[in-house]
Amino acid sequence: MRGRRRRLRKKSNPRNLENVVSLTCLCDGEMAVIAYTVGGFGLVRRLAEMGLTPGVKVKVIRKGLLHGPFEIEVRGVALALGYGVASRVFVRPLRADSDG
Amino acid sequence: MVKGQLRIALAGNANVGKSVIFNQLTGLNQIVGNWPGKTVERAEGTLFFEDHKIRIIDLPGIYSLSTFSMEEIVSRDYVAVEKPDVIINVVDASALERNLYFTLQLLELEAPIIVDLNQVDFAAKKGLRIDVEKLSEALGVPVVPTVAISGSGINEMLSTVIAVTSGEKKLEPLKVRYGKETEERVEALEKLVYEKLPQICSVYNARWIAVKLLERDLDVSGKLKNFENGKDVLGYAEKLAAELEKIHGEPSPVVMASERYGLANRIAMEVTIVEAPPRISLEQKLDAVTTHKILGYPILVAIVASMFALIFVGGNFLSAGLEFVFEKLIFYVEGVLSSFLPDIATELVSKGVLDGVVAGITIALPYIVPFYIILALLEDSGYLPRAAFLMDNLMHKIGLHGKAFIPLMLGYGCSVPACIGCRIMETERERFLAGFVVILIPCAARTVIILGLVGRFVGLPAALALYAFDLVLVFVLGRIAFKALPGEPVGLIMEMPAYKKPSIRNIMMKTWSRTKDFIYIALPIIVAGSVTIEALSLSGFINYVVEAATPLISGWLGLPAATSIPLIFGILRKELALILLQNALGQQGMVIQDLTSIQMIVFSLVTMIYIPCIATIATCVREFGWRKALATTIVDIALAFILGGLAYRLLSLVMIT
Repeated sequence: MRGRRRRLRKKSNPRNLENVVSLTCLCDGEMAVIAYTVGGFGLVRRLAEMGLTPGVKVKVIRKGLLHGPFEIEVRGVALALGYGVASRVFVRPLRADSDG
Repeated sequence: MVKGQLRIALAGNANVGKSVIFNQLTGLNQIVGNWPGKTVERAEGTLFFEDHKIRIIDLPGIYSLSTFSMEEIVSRDYVAVEKPDVIINVVDASALERNLYFTLQLLELEAPIIVDLNQVDFAAKKGLRIDVEKLSEALGVPVVPTVAISGSGINEMLSTVIAVTSGEKKLEPLKVRYGKETEERVEALEKLVYEKLPQICSVYNARWIAVKLLERDLDVSGKLKNFENGKDVLGYAEKLAAELEKIHGEPSPVVMASERYGLANRIAMEVTIVEAPPRISLEQKLDAVTTHKILGYPILVAIVASMFALIFVGGNFLSAGLEFVFEKLIFYVEGVLSSFLPDIATELVSKGVLDGVVAGITIALPYIVPFYIILALLEDSGYLPRAAFLMDNLMHKIGLHGKAFIPLMLGYGCSVPACIGCRIMETERERFLAGFVVILIPCAARTVIILGLVGRFVGLPAALALYAFDLVLVFVLGRIAFKALPGEPVGLIMEMPAYKKPSIRNIMMKTWSRTKDFIYIALPIIVAGSVTIEALSLSGFINYVVEAATPLISGWLGLPAATSIPLIFGILRKELALILLQNALGQQGMVIQDLTSIQMIVFSLVTMIYIPCIATIATCVREFGWRKALATTIVDIALAFILGGLAYRLLSLVMIT
């Protein structure tokens, strides 16, 4: 299932994969636009229903200690995502100057 | 003078103040139970308003009407099948876009809704004002602004409910339409559903079925499988969904969610007026400090520690006072009873029933109630989700996520509400895993034993060491269970509500509902257990039990043979173990102080883990099924005796030298 979906995405928008990084690569305060999410059917769908759909702007409010959870703002709501979940969300950073 | 009965449902996302509204509407006049066959809480209440009797059902707080969790299926089926007269959709004015996503789904179900625009005060604080008229126009349904905590707007809302149900106010609900590619497919599928499955269309509307099928909703496709033409429709839906995925390069539910959010976003933008730029408020500063990746932890420890200190110091004091009063009372009642009852019956009533009730009350009132009040305060103010955020990382080590921290904390009060609290976990696997760990957390009754025995006679450091050992044990066992149980762990996805001033009323209601679990489930079992113990000891049966248990108790654990009585009856009533210990030793001409420090520690250790009390077992059976309940019980017993025996041997080596 998952493999099929990935192939499908690459085939349909190959250009859009540029500059795409995992949400976990962002720093506190950075903004980005959601590109896509990967994972099981349930997770991908749940994230979409919580408002993490392609094209939506998100802001990292803070990262937890070590591989801790991420708090992000999306559609006016603060959401906490576990590290594992955050690593499955792929985004295009809006400001490339502050990657550290 | 009651004109008619109305059935209305409250629906909305979590954290929008829905339960506050429900409490405002029904007061104490509510029944909380379970949905038939599901471990999902169902709260129902009645109220009278202008000659109408209104029955209100509070649907679980959810984010969407897809089948992710049991809560969502329950809510969806209620709206679609039971068709309440009106649904009050509680919407958070400060996060309109997200909330409208749910509203749109209700509209797709063709449910008669009224929008309760709640927390308008909070939105104003964020510098947002919502144009109520415009929103009402855009959705085609009435919109009533409210501030649930103060109760403003509630009467207007009820008047609107009456106006809608009497037909005085007509609804012209917005028809949710998708983008061209999606809409074509929805319509094609809708037509097919309508033609091929007339039976289903008599309950659900065909368009909704079509939308859900395109989203690959498992619950809906499962419903269709039973019908003759179902397979054809499913085949066609699969084909259309695949086409949609090819066009957009996204799974079809993501495509549909995106489009719905697009519409929600357009409406929200249209009706929201940004009046002032958001300022950094006190709440935000508080948020930054309490969730800080380093500072957050000492704050968490300080909060939890002061909470326990407060409860146990205050609790001890209260408990002693209560015991004193009850002792006098029982003495008096005994006197009255013995005047007309035979001696044996008096014993049974006073030692069995009365002692049971008193023991329950002296645990509940001084320890459990204050604990839940403080916990509800932390919860309603918004601190608990922050604690969950901080603890997420650690919880993942035992296969759970941050949210499990909440039932874990509940466990320090009473295991019964804590097991029920495990429902906040998303999957059945997580619920059980959380439940398994929660049972090992020393509840108030076990704390009484640890503090009363080890804390008092061996010293506070030893008692704290036992606590620390228990936390390590929870961690290790949780990790083993996590590895042993099949299935994937679920990551944390949790909303972080802003800090809020908690409502006293809501805190009291919450405390009551949790304490009620203790009173209704645990207390009757405690009393029954107490009567059983008394009957057994009066009949002399107890001596056989002691004899049979001696090799294990004396040989392996190194405890006096008489301690088997409190250990065995601790299954029925853990909090009584200390008193029973006293009695049992007394019969041998000993006092508690005759026990060595090691014996006290071993005894406390064993009572802490050896078996969840019978009320907890009953709750586990209800929540997780009897197989899992039995397995948990056996594991805990085995563990307690293995660890107890080892502790005896190790401590003997260490403490003598």
